[in-house]
Amino acid sequence: MPSSPSKRRPQASPLAEAGPVALRVTGLAKAFGPTVALRSCSAEFRAGEVHAIMGENGSGKSTLVKILTGVHRPDAGTVELAGATARLVAAPGLRSPGAAIKAGIMAVFQEVLVVDSRSVLDNAWLGADATFGRHLPEAGRRARATAVFAELLPDGIDLDAPAGGLPLSQRQACAIVRVLLREPRVLILDEATSALDVATRDRLFAALGRRRASGMCTIFISHRMDEIGEIADRVTVLRSGESVGTLDRAEVTPDKLVQLMTGADHLAGGRSAHQRLDRPVSADSVLQVRELRLRPRAAPVSFTLRAGEVVGLAGLEGHGQDDFLRALWQGSPNGQVLRVAGTAATPIRSARHAAALGIGYVPRDRRSESLFAPLSVQENFGVVTSGADRRFGLLSHAARRARLAGYRDSLGIRMGKPTDLITTLSGGNQQKVVIARWLAREPRILLLNDPTRGIDLGAKRDIYALLDKLAADGVAVVMLSTELDEHVELMDRVLVFREGSVGAVVERDALSRAALVSAFFGQESPR
Amino acid sequence: MNATKRFLRSRPYAFALVVFVVLLVANIVAQPSFASPSNWPETLAIFAPFGIAALASTPAIMSGGGGIDISIGPLMTVIDMIIVADLLPHGLGSPWIVVPFCLIAGAAVGAVNGTLVTVLRFQPVVATLCMNFILTGLATQIEGASTPQGSTWWTNDLASSFGPVPGGLISIAAPLLIWLALSRTAYLRNLYATGGDDAAAFSAGVDVTRVRILGYAIGGLFAGVGGLALMAVLREGEAGDATMYTLVALAAVALGGTAFTGKRGSLIGTLLGAGCMYLITNVLSAARVPDTWTDAIYGLLLLVAVIFGAGLASATQARTT
Repeated sequence: MPSSPSKRRPQASPLAEAGPVALRVTGLAKAFGPTVALRSCSAEFRAGEVHAIMGENGSGKSTLVKILTGVHRPDAGTVELAGATARLVAAPGLRSPGAAIKAGIMAVFQEVLVVDSRSVLDNAWLGADATFGRHLPEAGRRARATAVFAELLPDGIDLDAPAGGLPLSQRQACAIVRVLLREPRVLILDEATSALDVATRDRLFAALGRRRASGMCTIFISHRMDEIGEIADRVTVLRSGESVGTLDRAEVTPDKLVQLMTGADHLAGGRSAHQRLDRPVSADSVLQVRELRLRPRAAPVSFTLRAGEVVGLAGLEGHGQDDFLRALWQGSPNGQVLRVAGTAATPIRSARHAAALGIGYVPRDRRSESLFAPLSVQENFGVVTSGADRRFGLLSHAARRARLAGYRDSLGIRMGKPTDLITTLSGGNQQKVVIARWLAREPRILLLNDPTRGIDLGAKRDIYALLDKLAADGVAVVMLSTELDEHVELMDRVLVFREGSVGAVVERDALSRAALVSAFFGQESPR
Repeated sequence: MNATKRFLRSRPYAFALVVFVVLLVANIVAQPSFASPSNWPETLAIFAPFGIAALASTPAIMSGGGGIDISIGPLMTVIDMIIVADLLPHGLGSPWIVVPFCLIAGAAVGAVNGTLVTVLRFQPVVATLCMNFILTGLATQIEGASTPQGSTWWTNDLASSFGPVPGGLISIAAPLLIWLALSRTAYLRNLYATGGDDAAAFSAGVDVTRVRILGYAIGGLFAGVGGLALMAVLREGEAGDATMYTLVALAAVALGGTAFTGKRGSLIGTLLGAGCMYLITNVLSAARVPDTWTDAIYGLLLLVAVIFGAGLASATQARTT
């Protein structure tokens, strides 16, 4: 730990020697409709420490950050912030990012939030003024911005250039300088380092180290275990919206973190009610990806999909799995995606082309990408296969109803009349209609983007069973999922994405929640 | 060539400036008296309401988020009519009453538009179209059976000149001076940032809602000045004029290099754009092109401007990615 000025003794009442508590959250909870994003989160963040928060997808990290930065208001629980007197006071006024910033809580996100059309200097001071009032003369701004930029970018930066013309790492540096300039009491870095190049990141860590002495608390979220090992004094782990433990630096081991993140103990008694069919995977490849580069500097991905297998795409959000699935569906200019049939290999040119080649795609966002809300169930089902319902050149509703009836039974779609609006169905049944739409084209390859998101357990089980059956019939399935258990239950193998490339491939017999989470964070599987 | 390109890219109004100069020369060639100083006051007075309508349409667009205000034309007409039909006949024609009334009424209507769009989340086009209808209806009410007419000494000067200074110049300068004053505060920076990337501005603590409402209010304020300039030159109030400026003002904004996404734009560009459109009508009539053709040529020019403007914007983007 090169940048930490304070030596930490491992045992002996760590609370007493560390700084005073700067921020305390107690019992925070937040739900969005039926989805509980944060169940109960409690933690103390001390002045002068770097406090990492870890957890897999959906553990509630982003919701916690959004509450602290005033984007969301919690349904329950309290946020207390140390005032000028270092005594904690309730902070009910976190109503907007502006209010949170006034209270001294500022964040930098994974998504680089700079205004491309404005100058570097304007971006650095963005939001520092009131709507009309200016708090600093122009010259003071330049000098201070230059000083803070120098900490991150010693080669200097043109303060008057538009930020949009800079490379990604320097744009993110603008966003970081923006918060550092305003001297936060609590700085939140929410995957903010992923956009930085290594040298800039190291200089950021040094800059954070220098600010420990003045009592700045850093809440650090990262998918890189090595970064956490390098600068975190303590680690709080979230799982399914609950804070499940805070470890001191001395207690942290990768295995322990993975265990806390996955809750390995509750999975010990049997995997699930779903019985996976035991099926052979054919040797025939149906789809090949050669040297596909998802991001300019990431390693290329090569991949072969075989008939009858179910492949999972996993990873923390935003690590390239979405782009990969889309490339399978639409082809990509950054590598070859080939539909293979026997000895013939055809490069996929577009989504339309893919559909013609027997590839089906179920998008992630039902409402905006796959449903026609004003249309009925049967119209939603038959919209791309109208040809099959043609009788004497006209569409026959009876023929369409008959076709739908078959899928309604085999998929267990619970619905009223086929002419009812699609929106009258539950989310799970809507999704089944979307899947039936594609099945009606009898695809040989089915791509699904998180198909069970936000649908009830019964419908999930039906979809799992369906995928199993499809695979047994020789259809190749690629499914992106944000749920660990789905991968463990369903997949023949799982590609784990990290930073725009495949970080690990976990085969069926090695699949476990722990193995996946370890791979998410770039660790060897604890076996 | 490269230097020219860079100049064009870094200044969104550059295209309008070039067209403006070309048209100015064309006008002087076609009609040498156009350049004579004795004609300036009249030319400027006629141009002022249109130029100001275009200026007034700009801030809402620059506030981003699909912002647009299509109630500027009717707002100017209603203000014109209230002066002619209500203030002047009741002996309230003093500039100390009329000017503040115009500014306050304009800004208030703009603020209502801004609130509808940001707080109540109406689509900007829908919200300001409703306002457009309301104001047009109001203008018809005020007009009654006969077209009200009227003027007073200082509005006549505004339509000609105050001593050596053309009145139209003063009307046009007013919004520009207000804008210049705003550029000395943090507001314009906040407006540019909000239009450029509202998510970034919001997360940095900019009060995006307030900045947008103020954008519409400032547009309304300018429309107040425009209403006065309109009244000065027409000396009457006719409800039928209400919709006259709405769309051509937006065309001038586009021609001036302001993107309807709010990502780039400038007030000076809008003024140049409006100047171009005025000059084009003028040169067409000087060249005895029938009036029936001017609309078609407006449309064509706008099309060229949009294509050219879009080309510039994408060239800039290609450079950044």
